[in-house]
Amino acid sequence: MTAVTPYRSGLRTGRDGFAQLLRAEWTKIRTVRGWTAGLALVALLIVGLGVLFAAGSHSSCSKGPIEVPCPAPLTGPGGVPVQDRFYFAHQPLAGDGSVTVRVSSMTGQIRKPDVTPGVRNVVPGVTPWAKAGVMIKQSVRQGTAYAALMVTGSHGVHMQYNFTEDLAGRPGGVSAASPRWLRLTRTGDTITGEESADGSHWTTVGTVRPPGLAGKVEIGLFAASPGDLTVTPNVMGGAAVASRFAEVTAVMDQVGVRGVAAGGTWGRDDIGVTMEADGVTPHHPGGLVQSGGTFKVTGVGDIAPSAEGMPVERVLTGVLTGLVAMTAVAVLFVTAEYRRGLIRTTLLASPRRGRVLAAKAVVIAAAAFAAGLVGAAVTVPVGQSILAANGNVLAPVAPLTSLRVIVGTAALLAVAAVFALAVGALFRRSAMAVIAVVVTIIVPYVLAVASILPEEVSRWLLRVTPAAGFAVQQSMPTYAQVTARYAPAEGYFPLPPWAGFAVLCAYAALALALAAHRLRRSDV
Amino acid sequence: MEATIEVTGLRKRFGQTQALDGMTFTVLPGRVTGFVGPNGAGKSTTMRVVLGLDAPDEGRALVGGHPYPSLRNPLSHVGALLDAAALQPSRTGRNHLLWLAHSQGLGARRVDEVIEQVGLTPAARRRAGGYSLGMRQRLGIAVALLGDPPVLMLDEPFNGLDPEGIVWIRGFLRSLAAEGRAVLVSSHLMSELQDTAGHLVVVGRGRVVADTSVADLITTASRDRVTLRTTARAEAMSVLAGADATVTVTERDTLVVSGLAAEHIVRLLGAQGVPFSEVAAHRATLEEAYLDLTRDAVEFRGAAR
Amino acid sequence: MRREVHAEWTKVRTVAGPWWLLGAFVVLTVAAGAVAAAVVPCAAAGCGQDAARISLVGVQLGQAMVALLAVPAICGEYSTGMIHTSLAAMPRRTVALAAKAVVVGGLTLAAGTLAVLGSVLAGRLLLPGSGFVPAHGYPPLSLADGPTLRAAVGSVLYLVLIALLSLGLATAVRDSAAAAGVVLGLLYVFPIAVLMVSSEESRRLLWSISPTNAGLAVQTTVDLADLPISPWGGLGVAAAWAAAALAGGGLLLRLRDA
Repeated sequence: MTAVTPYRSGLRTGRDGFAQLLRAEWTKIRTVRGWTAGLALVALLIVGLGVLFAAGSHSSCSKGPIEVPCPAPLTGPGGVPVQDRFYFAHQPLAGDGSVTVRVSSMTGQIRKPDVTPGVRNVVPGVTPWAKAGVMIKQSVRQGTAYAALMVTGSHGVHMQYNFTEDLAGRPGGVSAASPRWLRLTRTGDTITGEESADGSHWTTVGTVRPPGLAGKVEIGLFAASPGDLTVTPNVMGGAAVASRFAEVTAVMDQVGVRGVAAGGTWGRDDIGVTMEADGVTPHHPGGLVQSGGTFKVTGVGDIAPSAEGMPVERVLTGVLTGLVAMTAVAVLFVTAEYRRGLIRTTLLASPRRGRVLAAKAVVIAAAAFAAGLVGAAVTVPVGQSILAANGNVLAPVAPLTSLRVIVGTAALLAVAAVFALAVGALFRRSAMAVIAVVVTIIVPYVLAVASILPEEVSRWLLRVTPAAGFAVQQSMPTYAQVTARYAPAEGYFPLPPWAGFAVLCAYAALALALAAHRLRRSDV
Repeated sequence: MEATIEVTGLRKRFGQTQALDGMTFTVLPGRVTGFVGPNGAGKSTTMRVVLGLDAPDEGRALVGGHPYPSLRNPLSHVGALLDAAALQPSRTGRNHLLWLAHSQGLGARRVDEVIEQVGLTPAARRRAGGYSLGMRQRLGIAVALLGDPPVLMLDEPFNGLDPEGIVWIRGFLRSLAAEGRAVLVSSHLMSELQDTAGHLVVVGRGRVVADTSVADLITTASRDRVTLRTTARAEAMSVLAGADATVTVTERDTLVVSGLAAEHIVRLLGAQGVPFSEVAAHRATLEEAYLDLTRDAVEFRGAAR
Repeated sequence: MRREVHAEWTKVRTVAGPWWLLGAFVVLTVAAGAVAAAVVPCAAAGCGQDAARISLVGVQLGQAMVALLAVPAICGEYSTGMIHTSLAAMPRRTVALAAKAVVVGGLTLAAGTLAVLGSVLAGRLLLPGSGFVPAHGYPPLSLADGPTLRAAVGSVLYLVLIALLSLGLATAVRDSAAAAGVVLGLLYVFPIAVLMVSSEESRRLLWSISPTNAGLAVQTTVDLADLPISPWGGLGVAAAWAAAALAGGGLLLRLRDA
């Protein structure tokens, strides 16, 4: 045979790095019109359904027979929405001072669901977070700064200030046989709460400096009782939540106030009481009965953060639908290659298979993130302003929280897309992959928020399935010291936002690892 | 990098089927090597193993001395056409090449070059889903040429091509080989490789049954065969059969006789008074040689070397 | 039509996928119902729970498997190109689709019956352990009880309707990923969207036209008066969806090039 000169290419070889792979996958996704249309559809669905929802939500409040715009929710010193309704017997305090009482009894009444329709069913009892004790408050205006030390219905002694802050003292209730002494002392800006079982040995519950509590303040005794919460399953799915009237009466004696004007009289304020339709008669009034040194304080309502108003994530109703569309695109991005045999061409061009899958994951994640970000970033401000224009009360939200909801939504779509891509690479069949992804991400969410399953089961579903990732959209904080239904159906997730998101990430990582394993192991 | 493909002792089993059973051969630069065998002989599996798509149970396959998966920018080392239908139908042909170019760090200019080279320019910006089989083959060849590789592997590139396309691709393959590239072309029809391949690797049942130049193969297949032209076909056949020769009728008045030398035949027929017009050493066609091989693979192996 | 049905039946019978899927469907449906029956508590009389509905909650999960049976039945033919062979052999396209509907529906009917019977049995065995006892007003779950029988039969029919709905939508959409997305979006996202609607009136209206919500109303055995639609009426809504989807799919199949 004659000697042959082997061929040498004159072509300058390009770089062989991950960046080239990313660029190739990006070219792939952008050159299939159905997929770019799918990505646009994701953003459009989020915006469109969000705007539709906002446009369809109207709200107005009635003042007597006339409809008026709903008032903005009451906010506390930190700007969070609060409820501030209680009975307060108080004296002004200009400088340092203290108040000491002995609480020897807490009783009350609760309205339960009517047994006979139309007949009020009121039973004796105290709700778990009924509270009575001593308080220093900036003024008798609702929503001002305060610090309070209290005995509660069934959570023992607590010190709370400025609505959201809570410190636990000793557990246990009060009775004539085992009363509890409470003392609240103001030294400069510092408030110290102490409790005692015998009036001589004191334990500090907390020393706090509530922002906004300074100068001339009111000091005295208070009582409040949040309503009794009942949850009944709704035949249409979800549950009906009702909060019914409850009041508490605390007996306090051995009252000692220092630092106030000598011989000062007790100011009495039923703070935040609502009026009957006539506008003058208080509805469920509190009260103070003073006989000698004994004060019987009766209170209704609560001093706590409130969940009033529509949370910001409500306008993101289109995300679920967008997620389904995103799933289809992400699944197709890989299964289409298997269906056509194109995967072989891909692996010829890039024989390191793990890197191919990684590049695909990065590209689909970036595309989904972009689509989600556009969708959410448009929907939140637009939807919020439409809602507000329609008279809806919006829950105030910190800018950072709002940003987290928007970015979190985009990240949710991105990670869900990676999960879908991995499931697609694992099954290699589009219908099966789409259904598997929807069944693992969306169905648990649907069952958790809109089914007959009990709350605890719903919470577990949102802890252990990929649906936990929706937690990243929750803007409303939860408080241990508040009587509220923090159920998935109300938009409260069992895991903190980023923890829930981490669960979804873990599933995506697992699916991706399995897909990479299958891709590396098997012939294509 | 050397422009070679080396396949050594490949074995692979799919369930009950032994797809590859000790496949061994080397493809050298500067010529078109035909890779032929009946359907199911293991041609495609071998190609997939060479390209790192399938993992062999045993043996190894090297491209230019390296296993395919270790190649950087592999398309600049080996160009392959496996399945021309493997396209995303909604993507244009040009965009199909573009993503492949991007994966190799190449740009759009190279894409347009190869499109030009395979004559696909008019259709390049149309959806690949609407391509005819021939256009898909051209696009597949463009993919193989994208990295300007010294080694090319084409699986059944003639499939679906019209006669004009077949002529084009034959010339194209020869010119690629003439540049010093190693070109391996598989086919299940030997006739397609006529005038194209200079060397042949014939396979059957997962192993190589012949690894030879086309000229040698034809010589071997022609050996001991004589073409006989006679008007008395039946008489000639009975005479020759009586002398232990194997006789095949190829045309109305033409017989191919093997097992007897030409002068022996002339003597026999003359002695029996059978008329004949021509006795000549037979020149076998490639197709015949191939059929001989695949008919009785084991017997041939000794003879070919 | 008989020949078409026979052909479609042979198509299904001769691949392993559908059988595995139907097996998985029965197991998942019964398992989900059993878990619900075991964990949903009824602490006292008047707990307001719907025993039949709890036992049959697996249908909500099982319908995804039904969709997974129906969608590839048609989209699989489009992706492999077998649709050309099918339509060459059975040129009457609507009849071909009807035959497919008969086979997919029949398979769902058979597997759905198994799944629902299994769920009711699991409920009967497990519910008393969760407090669903006669003392709380819950006799053992029995098909002899009219509303329970209606819930059970209705659930089977609901699953068949979901199969037909999926088949019709898949015929219209053709691409399996997109079809699966559309079907599941309708089945699972629509009900969530309904819950988010703030106006009570619109919510009840949307609820009663959603195939899942209205269709599953047939499972309800308590508080029937609170439902926006009657149980059989709800199943009728699901049937209307299925009929519309099949008709639309059949029309598109006739009008479009395959």
